[in-house]
Amino acid sequence: MSMLKLNRRGFVKLSGAAALVGLSTSAVHRPLFAADKEKEKGRVVVIGGGYGGSVAAKYIRLADPGIDVTLIEQNEHYYSCPLSNWVVAGFRDLEVQKWGYEGLKKHGIKVVHEQATEIDPAAKTVTTKGGTKFKYDRLIVSPGVAFKPVQGYDAEAEEKMPHAWNAGPQTVLLGKQLAAMRDGDPFILVAPPDPFRCPPGPYERASLVAHYLKKNKPKSKVIILDPKDKFSKMPLFQGAWTKLYGFGTDKSLIEWIPGGEGGKVTRVDAKTMTVYTDMAEYKSSCINVIPPQKANAIAELAKLTDDSGWCPINFDTLESKIHKDVHVIGDAAQATGLPKSGYAANSEAKVCAAAVVALLNGQKPGEPSFVNTCYSMLSPTFGISVAGVYKVVEGKIKEIGGGLSSADAPEFIRQQEATYNESWYQSIMADTFS
Amino acid sequence: MHRKKIHMMGLIGGLVMGGVVLASSASAETGPTAAMLANTCAGCHGTDGISGGPAMPTIAGFPANHVKTLMKEFKDGSRPSTIMGRLAKGYSDEEVALIADFFAKKKWVSANSHANSKLATAIDPALATKGKKIAADAKCDKCHEDDGKFQDDNTPRLAGQWLDYLLFKMQDYKNAALKVPQEKKMEKAMEKLTAEDLTAIAHFYASKK
Repeated sequence: MSMLKLNRRGFVKLSGAAALVGLSTSAVHRPLFAADKEKEKGRVVVIGGGYGGSVAAKYIRLADPGIDVTLIEQNEHYYSCPLSNWVVAGFRDLEVQKWGYEGLKKHGIKVVHEQATEIDPAAKTVTTKGGTKFKYDRLIVSPGVAFKPVQGYDAEAEEKMPHAWNAGPQTVLLGKQLAAMRDGDPFILVAPPDPFRCPPGPYERASLVAHYLKKNKPKSKVIILDPKDKFSKMPLFQGAWTKLYGFGTDKSLIEWIPGGEGGKVTRVDAKTMTVYTDMAEYKSSCINVIPPQKANAIAELAKLTDDSGWCPINFDTLESKIHKDVHVIGDAAQATGLPKSGYAANSEAKVCAAAVVALLNGQKPGEPSFVNTCYSMLSPTFGISVAGVYKVVEGKIKEIGGGLSSADAPEFIRQQEATYNESWYQSIMADTFS
Repeated sequence: MHRKKIHMMGLIGGLVMGGVVLASSASAETGPTAAMLANTCAGCHGTDGISGGPAMPTIAGFPANHVKTLMKEFKDGSRPSTIMGRLAKGYSDEEVALIADFFAKKKWVSANSHANSKLATAIDPALATKGKKIAADAKCDKCHEDDGKFQDDNTPRLAGQWLDYLLFKMQDYKNAALKVPQEKKMEKAMEKLTAEDLTAIAHFYASKK
């Protein structure tokens, strides 16, 4: 019986006997003095402690405390991307986006703050930068995304033209540049091609920046340079832009240039603060480049990716189609049919956790059920959402029910959805880190 | 006690339905389990249905039949909602029953004792006291007995629910154009109450443990 579990139940201050009495009411799934049994149940290693990995680790422990779970996450704190656009637009503090791993430790999860640098699927080990090796029976990889190259966009350019697509210092940097921008300069937003993390994210960012400009820099506007000709929640976004920001008029605070009309960015120059498209060039003191994306480095290194740059998986268990006993969840996974959203990662994590628990107990994994619920803000009091319930039908992830907020919803509904967005954040973060 | 008789009937109905649920879940072994289905709700309603607030309702410990009714109304569109109408369409009656039973077994935690309670609109004790009197005059306690702590198949628990949620729902119930399904006596009470009255009533119920 490890001390971790005593800690988890908060009985560390009690005598051994009292602690055992306490445990006997809660540890339904496992006999007392089960240290040896625990080893038999198996070891799970999780790489990446965000919306996917943290939830997978927690839900494995909730379902079966007999399974040993180690979470390898290089950072001591996690900054949530969802709601970080509010920080860019200056009406939310980054501290509210910051989370730690103490809550997960209380579930008996061993949290290791090191960078995972190698996966050996044959030996079933993960090695960290510090050289520590972790043996697993099942591995869950939830590494998030990395950027594909954009000509002229190197590490130095990232500091001048922030992507702010991983929350944290980049978010603050972009917010500062927006605040320092001269009234009259455009806020240039370079949107990525599909598929990418958080499909409505660039358009929510454009909306909230426009909200900021309307109040603070009325001579400026947002110019979205988009390689695509359509995007997530497009009619809802454009409808709200028309209502709130004069979209479609010559005084619009948002201009959207689609791929077919010169929106494809070919290169950037951070020295001259210029973005080049196939038709024109744009200069500004504030440029946000969100590059094309692929699964993060560790997935690529471990050859979990295919030619698309993402990790092909079995939808019932989220197990890799390339390496046995390795599961991939979250943005890095090719969960075709589900968006690359925080909520989808949470949902994939739970399906994966249930499958891993079943497999380690010698049972057949059950049928999965996925949900996505994703809010976007058009202003601090104007929220919209997309929601869906998904199942695996004939080998494909299929939406059973769902849809977008109504296009003609009254203002009070938009206000309610804006408040529900904050609630969504609080509940899903507690589900992830507590 | 006419209403108590209705409670009894509700209980019998629940038992019969419970039997049906058992039978269908036993026969439909291929479907997702209750935990698989219900855990997907946690992203908004919190782990085990205990919301992180400030506006998403806590649903832990809700009577199963109450949840089944709500989900049926969300699904057929008779109950207005921002998002639940869309999500409810993703589930069969059997799946809804599994979800409802899952949350019915979970323990209620009042928002005012939740770690996130400070995120919600602050409960105003003076307003809460005023609300108690208004609620008594409007005879809210005829159904929402025990300061709103009581719940049954037709009566949701109000005591200790998230204040911002109560405020939203009060406004929705008052808004005749939304046609929220509600009993005649509730509708009539709502007609007479002003927006200020409803705010005070919400503060009263939210202040209870």
